[in-house]
Amino acid sequence: MKNKLIIAALITLSPIGVAMAAPNNVGCGVGTIIFEGQTGVAPQVLAVTTNGTLGNQTFGITSGTLGCAEDGVVANPVKVSMFLDTNLDKLAYDMAVGQGETLESLANLIGVDSAHKAAFFAATKANFAEIISSEQANTQDVIAGLNRVLAQNGELAQYARLV
Amino acid sequence: MLRLVGLWLALLFPAWSAPAVAASDAYLQELMTQADAGNLAGSRQWRALLHYRDNMIFPGVTGQADDPRFYLAADGKTDPRAELDATLAAFFAPPIVETDTAQHPQCRFIARYHWLNEVLRFDTARLPPQPCQRFSAWRAALNASALTLVFPSAYINNPSSMFGHTLLRVDAADQDERTRLLGYAINYAVEPGDDNGALFILKSLVGAYPGTFSLSPYYVKVKEYSDMENRDIWEYRLNFTQQEIDRLLMHAWELGPTRFDYYFFDENCAYHLLSLFEVARPSLELTSRFRGWVIPVDTVRSLAEQAGILAEAVYRPAGNTRLRERLARLDAAERQAVDRLLEEVTPDAALQEVPAERQAPVLEAAYALLRYEDGAGRRGHAEAARLSRHLLLARSRLAGGEDHPVTPAVPAPRPDQGHPTRRLALSAGHDAGRDFQSLAFRPAYNDLLDPSGGYSEGAQINFMDVTVRHEQGRGRLTLEKLTLVDIYSLAPRDGFFKPVSWKINTGIARTRLKDDERVAVYRTNGGAGLALGSWERAVVYGFVEATLDVGGELEDNYALGIGPSAGVFLHPAPAWKLNLSARWQAYHLGDRHHEREISLEQSVSLNRRHALRFTLSGGRERNLEFTTANLAWHWYF
Repeated sequence: MKNKLIIAALITLSPIGVAMAAPNNVGCGVGTIIFEGQTGVAPQVLAVTTNGTLGNQTFGITSGTLGCAEDGVVANPVKVSMFLDTNLDKLAYDMAVGQGETLESLANLIGVDSAHKAAFFAATKANFAEIISSEQANTQDVIAGLNRVLAQNGELAQYARLV
Repeated sequence: MLRLVGLWLALLFPAWSAPAVAASDAYLQELMTQADAGNLAGSRQWRALLHYRDNMIFPGVTGQADDPRFYLAADGKTDPRAELDATLAAFFAPPIVETDTAQHPQCRFIARYHWLNEVLRFDTARLPPQPCQRFSAWRAALNASALTLVFPSAYINNPSSMFGHTLLRVDAADQDERTRLLGYAINYAVEPGDDNGALFILKSLVGAYPGTFSLSPYYVKVKEYSDMENRDIWEYRLNFTQQEIDRLLMHAWELGPTRFDYYFFDENCAYHLLSLFEVARPSLELTSRFRGWVIPVDTVRSLAEQAGILAEAVYRPAGNTRLRERLARLDAAERQAVDRLLEEVTPDAALQEVPAERQAPVLEAAYALLRYEDGAGRRGHAEAARLSRHLLLARSRLAGGEDHPVTPAVPAPRPDQGHPTRRLALSAGHDAGRDFQSLAFRPAYNDLLDPSGGYSEGAQINFMDVTVRHEQGRGRLTLEKLTLVDIYSLAPRDGFFKPVSWKINTGIARTRLKDDERVAVYRTNGGAGLALGSWERAVVYGFVEATLDVGGELEDNYALGIGPSAGVFLHPAPAWKLNLSARWQAYHLGDRHHEREISLEQSVSLNRRHALRFTLSGGRERNLEFTTANLAWHWYF
């Protein structure tokens, strides 16, 4: 019974489940629209209190299974989408340039083999328009676009289902 | 004692069968005797694990956790031995099925269990080890192979991080310097809710906020500090053995749900992180060096100074720092192209004059600047989003990566190599016809003329700065000044960045009432202004400021004034700083009078611990002319 509950919970947390359950699961990888909100560098403002701004991505260490995390560690099914939620605009930049810390980290999260990394970077650069398909693209759109691009690439097709 | 534990066990686990209790009671007693013989309760490791600290006045210790569930014995907060006995007893609890809310004591207090097991070598037949599946899954997910102390530098515009902050990053075995974003940050913090800066400080002075340790992906912290607050981050990779790392993680697990009331000055983020390192390596003596107040950068220093502990320091420039660097690398024509791109001239047209190999950096700078302007609210979101994608699309069509890497120069010295934050000053001078000697002490933190390096330029924070003075011809010492808080943010504007400079200070000061009579008043002064220039050359500034003096000897007991001030700040040589300023205040309300003053302050730093400061000033206050000169020696420690 307990296992079934866990499976049910994981399905709800997985991108598919989330896409169906949207839109109030912000923080697990569905909420962010690229270039929107506080994505860029902020100006010097008097007494900004950002403590807690990103509170939905801060977890208690032994809080059990809670939203997107298990005892404070991001649950596997939402690892990629949560990462994208926080880093969409930086990722878009890295893809356009063809390299960078955010793109490297995404490759690591997906499990791209070091032998395939150059191809992965080249593919995301060449297909930028497809992956970031509009200025309204959100995390799910970017994941879908990335999957399409990977699936069409012989060498990288193996990673398509991992995103 | 034993009977108490037995009773406690019986209350906790009433269903436990009597013979089992008898058998385990015997082994428990054996373990307690062993622990007693080895004086484990008095050991450094037990002290560190339970967060015991010596009492200030009375003999004995008190545990710092403010959570009754953290201490298993009723008097465990003050009695390390009773706590040890109760902990051993709890380990004998019957197996349970782990749930989100329930763990076996061996798992819930897994660092204690491991250490006691190391020392006492538990007989697994008589004290069966529990599987601790949740902890195992957690540890496997973290996959820790290194620890990094992260120091987002001070952020003057947010009172809760005025002095900087520290957190701990857990680096996983399958990460490298290019994928550090994927590590996890262990962070001790409070949730102040909607409380604003001033209220936050007041409440945190008395420990009104419960603080807890939490975990978040490091990329969330980088976004918060580097992108949103524009704080340069320093990452200090530390040399800890795998065993020490495991110990620290086990203890972090124990601390998970444990509340430690947050105190702004002493039991803050930096202090609690140090206590984690003491658990990892009990021979480290870190927290005991700090009495009364703990400034994050001082804790970084105290750790970095330990032999062999600092592997390397990595600088992660803030979003703004990188943007400045990008813009600085463009020539005039390229900057013009950036402007045209942001005016939505098509990339092809805007980049026409730019040589092919320079088009990428121009597009990259334009994108970074656009994101900044969007964040600053200078553009409509929809328009900025469309243009952002446009620019990146154009960039994606240019070959090549960032083969002109934007790596701003690493500031030297690093924060841990800057001057210590406590300052003692001895000075001698002449004030309106009298010689004087004075002694000053400032517990924290940094002013504009203190030795450069390691601190944000233009960010002054003085806390509890007190000066006593002895004047020639007067017998006793007098309190010259007591500044409770003095914050001064001098931020030069340029073509792209338009910050407002501001200052606020409050405390006891002196005003000239009659000839040769300076009386104490309670003064609050603040203002806003603009600054231009660069710290390497000169910063010119102008302010409008207001002052409220309150004191029994003033007419109507107060004086409220307003007026301009202006000055120039020069940095002619690395060790030499100079501030020339003029100030005029007209007190129209209460004790009506005028005040004007010109002053020249200069400092010469001998090294990061010693500096000389020479101040000359003159002016007029209530029709009384005055001139003062003062030479001070500053010792930072």
